[in-house]
Amino acid sequence: MKRVLETVIFWGLLAALWEFGVGWLGIRRYLLPPLSAVLGAGWEARETLLAETWVTLLEVLAGFGLAVVGGVLLGVLIHLSPLARRTLYPLITALQSMPKIALAPLMIVWFGYGFASKLASTFLFAFFPVVVATLGGMANVPIHLDEHFKALGARPWDRFWRLQVPAALPAFVDGIKIAMPLAVIGAIVGEFIGAEQGLGHLMTLATANAQTDLMFAAILVITALAVFLYWGVERLAKAVWWRGISF
Amino acid sequence: MNAPTQEESAQSLPAIAVRQVLKTFVGKHEVKALEAVDLSVAPREFVSILGPSGCGKSTLLRIVAGLTPYEGGEVRVQERLVKGPGPEIGVVFQSSNMLPWLTVAQNMRLGTQLRGLPADTIKPKLAALTETLGLKGFENHHPHQLSGGMRQRAAIGQILALDPQILLMDEPFGALDALTRDRLNVELLRIWQELRQTVLLVTHSIAEAVFLSDRVVVMSGRPGRIVKEISIDLPRPRRPEDIKSHPRYGEYIAELSRLMGVFNDEH
Repeated sequence: MKRVLETVIFWGLLAALWEFGVGWLGIRRYLLPPLSAVLGAGWEARETLLAETWVTLLEVLAGFGLAVVGGVLLGVLIHLSPLARRTLYPLITALQSMPKIALAPLMIVWFGYGFASKLASTFLFAFFPVVVATLGGMANVPIHLDEHFKALGARPWDRFWRLQVPAALPAFVDGIKIAMPLAVIGAIVGEFIGAEQGLGHLMTLATANAQTDLMFAAILVITALAVFLYWGVERLAKAVWWRGISF
Repeated sequence: MNAPTQEESAQSLPAIAVRQVLKTFVGKHEVKALEAVDLSVAPREFVSILGPSGCGKSTLLRIVAGLTPYEGGEVRVQERLVKGPGPEIGVVFQSSNMLPWLTVAQNMRLGTQLRGLPADTIKPKLAALTETLGLKGFENHHPHQLSGGMRQRAAIGQILALDPQILLMDEPFGALDALTRDRLNVELLRIWQELRQTVLLVTHSIAEAVFLSDRVVVMSGRPGRIVKEISIDLPRPRRPEDIKSHPRYGEYIAELSRLMGVFNDEH
C-alpha cells in the first residue's frame, strides 16, 4: 500500500511539474506543450494512435522473435564451430560496431517501405545481445558438473540439453532483457527513415505538421509500449528461477 | 582382519589394478603428479587413500575413474583397460553436483537416465534409497533448499542408484562440518555393509580413513607416490563408539599421524 502511494505521488508530482512548469517558465507550446494538451491531442487521435501502435507492436514482436531465434542459432553455431568463431563472429562484431542507424536507410532500399524493412531494422538492433548472451551462457557450464556428466557417461546430446542449455538460460534471459528495448528502438528507427505506418511514422508526420502535442502523445505511447514489453520479458525471464543460484 | 575380503582377494582378480602409473601435468611448470604408482584393490574391499593436499591422491582416483589420462603404466578396472569412464564405476565428488534446476528426486534419477538404465527397475530402487538416506519428504525440494549434508546424501543416492560395482569417492565429505561428516561416515558404512561395493575413497582425514577402511594407503606428494599401506584390522560391523575405544584404533591413528607428519589427530 505504501509502495503504491509512493508511486502515485512520484508520478503525480512529475505530471504536475510538466503541466504547470511549462506555464511558469513560459515555454512555448510548439516546443513543449503542457501535459493536458498532449493527453488531449492523444485522445483526439486515439484511433490513429491505436492503429499505429498495433503496427509498431507487430514489428517489434516479429523483429524481437527473429532476433531471439537468429541470435540463439548464431550463438550456438559460433559456440560449437571453431570455423564459425573465426569467421562469423568477427563479422557479427563488426556489424555491431557499425552505427545501425546508418544501415536503416539501406534496409529501406533493400526491403521497401513496408513491414519487411522494419523487421530487418528491428532484428539488426536487437540480435547482437542475444548472440553474446547465448555465447556467454553456453560457456557457463561449471567444470565440476562437466566432469560429473562425463563420469556418468553422458552422451553429447544429453550434455547439451540436460546441462548446457539450462546452465545457459540465466545469461540468455539477461540477453533478451537487453534486446527488447533495442527492438523497440529498431522498429521506431525503421519507421523514421521510411514508412507509411507505425508510431515512428506518426511522429515524423506530427513533427512536419508542427503538431508537437501529437508528437509527444506518440512518444508517450511508444514509452508505454516499451515498458510494457520489457515487463513482459521480465515476467518470462522469471521462469528461469535458478538464475543467481550457484551450482 | 575381515575374513571374507581376505579370501576373495586371494582367489579373484583385483577389482582395481593400477600398475606403474605415471602422470605429469604439463604447463608453465611441469609437475610430476604421480610417479610409478602401484595399487591393487580387491573386490568388495574398502580402501582409502590418505595424503596431504596436492599429493596426487585425487589425480590417482580420477585416473581410475577414466576422467584423467595417464602416461605410463596400466590401469585396469575389472579387467577393462581404463581409457575413459565405464558403466561399472560410480564417482562421488566433493561437490555434490546437484543440478539446481532439478528437484532432489529428479537429480537422483539423472544418473540412471544418462546411463540409459530402464526406468521401471530404477523406480523402486530410488524409493528405497530415498528412505535409506533420510531424504523422504524432500523429494520435491530443490538442492539449494537443502543443507550441505543433505545435498551430499542425494549425491550419494544418485550414484548408488546406478548400482556401481565400484564406488570411487573423492573427498565426498570434505566440504561438510565434522559432525555431519561423522554421521555420514556411519551411514556410508551401514549402506556399504549391505551392498558391499568395492570402494576407493580419497580423504585427508585420518579418523575417517581408519573408521571406514579395510586398508589405508598413504601417499606423499611431489612426485605423488605411495609410501605405506596399512591394513585396518578392526571388527565389522563398526560403530563409532566401539571402534574409538578399541585398543588398535589409537595405534592406527598414531601411526598414520606419524606418517602424515602430524602429531595430533583432528579429533
